[in-house]
Amino acid sequence: MSEDITTPSRQDTVTQPAIPRSRTDLLRSGFGRNLGLVVALVLLCLVGIATAGDTFATGANVLTILRLAAVIGVVSVGMTFVITGGGIDLSVGAMVALASVWATTLATQQLAADYHWIFMVSTALAVGAACGLVNGLLVAYGKIVPFVATLAMLASARGLAEIISDRKTQIITVGSFEDFFGGSLIGVPVLVWIFLLVAAAGWVLLNRTTFGRRTFAVGGNAEAARLAGIKVQRHTVALYVLAGLCCGIAAVMLMARTTTGSSTHGQLYELDAIAAVVIGGTLLSGGRGTIVGTVFGVLIFTTLNNVFTLNNLSISAQSVARGAIIVVAVLLQQRLARRTTGT
Amino acid sequence: MTDLLNMMGIVKEFPGVRALDGVDLDVRAGEVHCLLGQNGAGKSTLIRVLTGAHQPDAGMIRINDEPVQLNSPTAAIQRGIAAIYQELDLVPDLTVAENIFLGHEPSRYGFSRIHEANTKARAILQGLGHAEIPTHRTVGSLPAAGQQVVSMARALSRDARLIVMDEPSAVLDPEEVSNLFRVIRGLTDRGVAVVYISHRLEEIREIGDRVTVLKDGATVATGLDARQTPTKELIQLMTGRSIEYVFPPRTEVRAAAPVVLEVVDLSRPGEFAGIGFEVRAGEILGLAGLVGSGRSEVLETVYGARRAATGFVRVDGAVLRPGRVQDAVKAGVGLAPEERKSQALLLDEAVFKNITVSTLGRFASTGFLNNRAEREAASKLAVALDVRPAGVDQPVRNLSGGNQQKVVLARWLLRDCRVLLLDEPTRGVDVGARSEIYALIRELASNGVAIVLVSSEVPEVLGLSDRVVVLREGRAVHTGPAQEIDEHQVLDLVMEGSI
Amino acid sequence: MSRSSARTLVIAGLSVVALAACTSNTPKAEEDSGNKPAEQAAVKNDEPGKKVKIGFSAPAADHGWMGAITKATQAEAKKYSDVELVVAEGTNDVNLQISQVETFINQKVDAIVLLPFDGAALTPVATKAMEAGITVVNVDREFDSPFAARTTILGDNHGMGVSAGTYVCQQLKDKKDAVVAEIAGIDSLPLTQDRSKGFKEALADCGLKVSNRVAAEFTVESGEKAAANLLQAAPKIDAIWNHDDDQGVGVMAAIKNSGRKEFFVVGGAGSANVMRDIKSGSSLLKATVIYPSTQGADGVRLARLLVQKKALGDLVEVEVPRTVQLYAPVVTKDNVDQYLPTAFES
Repeated sequence: MSEDITTPSRQDTVTQPAIPRSRTDLLRSGFGRNLGLVVALVLLCLVGIATAGDTFATGANVLTILRLAAVIGVVSVGMTFVITGGGIDLSVGAMVALASVWATTLATQQLAADYHWIFMVSTALAVGAACGLVNGLLVAYGKIVPFVATLAMLASARGLAEIISDRKTQIITVGSFEDFFGGSLIGVPVLVWIFLLVAAAGWVLLNRTTFGRRTFAVGGNAEAARLAGIKVQRHTVALYVLAGLCCGIAAVMLMARTTTGSSTHGQLYELDAIAAVVIGGTLLSGGRGTIVGTVFGVLIFTTLNNVFTLNNLSISAQSVARGAIIVVAVLLQQRLARRTTGT
Repeated sequence: MTDLLNMMGIVKEFPGVRALDGVDLDVRAGEVHCLLGQNGAGKSTLIRVLTGAHQPDAGMIRINDEPVQLNSPTAAIQRGIAAIYQELDLVPDLTVAENIFLGHEPSRYGFSRIHEANTKARAILQGLGHAEIPTHRTVGSLPAAGQQVVSMARALSRDARLIVMDEPSAVLDPEEVSNLFRVIRGLTDRGVAVVYISHRLEEIREIGDRVTVLKDGATVATGLDARQTPTKELIQLMTGRSIEYVFPPRTEVRAAAPVVLEVVDLSRPGEFAGIGFEVRAGEILGLAGLVGSGRSEVLETVYGARRAATGFVRVDGAVLRPGRVQDAVKAGVGLAPEERKSQALLLDEAVFKNITVSTLGRFASTGFLNNRAEREAASKLAVALDVRPAGVDQPVRNLSGGNQQKVVLARWLLRDCRVLLLDEPTRGVDVGARSEIYALIRELASNGVAIVLVSSEVPEVLGLSDRVVVLREGRAVHTGPAQEIDEHQVLDLVMEGSI
Repeated sequence: MSRSSARTLVIAGLSVVALAACTSNTPKAEEDSGNKPAEQAAVKNDEPGKKVKIGFSAPAADHGWMGAITKATQAEAKKYSDVELVVAEGTNDVNLQISQVETFINQKVDAIVLLPFDGAALTPVATKAMEAGITVVNVDREFDSPFAARTTILGDNHGMGVSAGTYVCQQLKDKKDAVVAEIAGIDSLPLTQDRSKGFKEALADCGLKVSNRVAAEFTVESGEKAAANLLQAAPKIDAIWNHDDDQGVGVMAAIKNSGRKEFFVVGGAGSANVMRDIKSGSSLLKATVIYPSTQGADGVRLARLLVQKKALGDLVEVEVPRTVQLYAPVVTKDNVDQYLPTAFES
């Protein structure tokens, strides 16, 4: 509650925001919300420079971090949409696995070898989108809780991947595919470009389009959105398809990185993606989401990983640090949220 | 007579806002003390301080002349202070008895004693004059009035000496309200003090003993006689202005005006049956009836939020597909639902986004939103409707009830609605803002919108509408011009089914 | 980092003194291995040379054998004052493991010892490391390109199956209709397929076949589940070969629960637990087939030799061989004492 409510001052300077810009307003703004993440990332980098300066602060290492971030980053962008829309998708890792396997079957590869690698890419995207469609239909029209519906997809998509691949690693023999996705453009790996493109497209979609606005509405208050005339069910389906599509893209990226498709790809990506989304500032209950925050979340985790590797520290210690970061980030967010909502 | 509770000079600040600025409140044992004030005057904050949810920055609280610190809700409960909130804080899936004893279940060695809880709960409910509420039913299956009684029983089970009731009548029918008043009288006879918050002056006249008026976070008057103090004076104290509900003058609905909304033989089993009416452009049709008479259900069915079993709805001659909100919206129907916060608003989103949410397509080319055009259109409406505080970038949560309602209306105005369905448009709207909403609704009508109005306040329906339909148990028992019927006749109709 | 490398130096120094005349793979066998023929050459190789920085990456240590690999590797590295080991241990996410190797390349390590989660998936990045002039030693799970590693150290998965099959044949030589069951590991891994193939071939040699086959996932829990299913499916069994001693803990639990005793069990990999059971003689476990958990340690040694351009001890050839395949011996009550010291604790 601000004072303007209780003192009805009859000013007609309506077009100007009447509330003075205060500290809380600054924290509210997009910049302020991400400030904490920027600080965290900078701190991490400082630690990296201090402990492994000679190798950390090199262009090659930065690219290594970005390449690692790229795959999980694309998955996390899709996850941001689903979570902002009030859902959750536990099946992203399994969808990555299934898409990678389907896109590297002998038949698909033959097609790609005969014509163009685009067949492998479109297969992966189609498989991802189709899985997302199933998720979305189950959630929106089957009225199954997202947690359960996508849990079912998690199990069955990975199972299907194992059946198709016969639990064998499928090696990619299409040279043109490897050449394109393994290459670089202006010194930056193609994979990193894809990540940047997906993140930028995701930002525009979420913040500058009717689709994005409706996503906030559906996630913030589904009933209000429905009564405002938004096609809530159809929109929900679209969100899961989007997440699946992102998984398809991630599968292509992972295929390029490993030159394989495998039912073991993408293990625990759901947890990595949710962690990145949450520390980025997207509300797990829906209605608030930020792509920039998600990208920072992914970068924080991958940089953390890099710093630990450079310092010869074990993955177990890193897991502890990850957990601590998640808790601290969420605690901080809650404090900010409390401050900005006043009473 | 000594005071049970003294609050002196209570100050509470939130970042950027001084919500309470020196509030005094004295409550005696066995009285109903009414707390009056507009939305934002500080009533809710004061209650939160009293129940230990907020810590005051300055001031003193004394109970029975003994200074106390209410550091937490638990501390307040231990001091005998209980609160019954607008949104009841009951667990819907637990039974009545379990709810009453939630947090202090009768138990032995850690095993809860269900039988004992049931017996005790029954005794308390009997004391409240509601022995008919079964203690083993889940609370969620009780009507609102029953839930309220359970809430009170819970307070009593903790030996509360002071019970705060925040707008308890808002969810009740007239009959249930008189029941509630009987219960309150029973409590005060036992020496329990009640702090009663309500927007309805007539209730305060009926149940209150003394009145304290808050304005802008400070006490402007206290110890007023609830029955004798003139209404004008109370409103003056609350608003600093002296206005009562003012209904705008009716404008003549032209007989040649086209019928915009046509409802034919609409039914939903168990809710209502055979409902039919027509609304012309520029006309306001009022639906009067008790809670449970089916009035909100009719409105939601017209809108397509519920699927009609039989009958149909025509807008401008075209039949709407049943159960399809999007079709209704496309045909130019808008709904301002009863539960504004949960059904209409995106509380954490900016005002302008709430206004444009049903019209996004207009501000987009190939899906990309033009933020500036959107803001400008919303701003124009916000100015026209005098939404305060001004500025369309703040979250709707910061607005008072009346201003939130204006935002909902603005949403449909922006869409150039042909039909507007208003469900309890002034619930939770303070006295000052009501007249503005009334004027706004009338203005909409004179611009050619067909309006259907549902309200539990009979004077509102009669004062604002051109024609009324009176509903009783899901059936229309009377249809006619609003001027030809008065409040008593409507009450007779809704209770007895005839005048 | 500097502190840990100082510690490494001290420990390595002490080890060198203690190991002065030692060629054994393991510290425990030091005392009685003083007079082996390889002594001279080995001592020469052990002398500190050019400083070697080695990066090591392996899948998550969610398995006793895998844990032992990392431990043995670290222990081995500490013995050499001229080896600095950078460990990026433990991940089953190929994306992450690839980035670990990329980090090693950025750090300009001299050699990388790599036990890939998935050999094929790590091939491109290993090739990249080789192209960057880094000596890559591939351990256990093979790359699918000869250009991805200078040297590959492999256990003998096929040989494991053969050894286990041969042992079962010896025990059941008079029973032509004997029921032999097999509890495999993760079916998707080539190593599992190799083991099963060898087992089948060896059994076929003496006219036996695998009557029942189930697959577990190298974990205790999965072993229990698979064995319980197997025991349900086969009312009478004469011999069981279980691919992996880690999942074997679960397998033995399931057998104990069923109360059945009509068969004997052959293990795989060779954990210390299983060897102690074999030694006791009272268990249904009569033998196990070793799959050495010191491959990573061998990898470090070879990587060091390669970088320092030294030859392998007893070979006349001046270059370290391209492939080293370790042997898969059968451990029984008679020879268990010989293998117990190098066994891994699961």
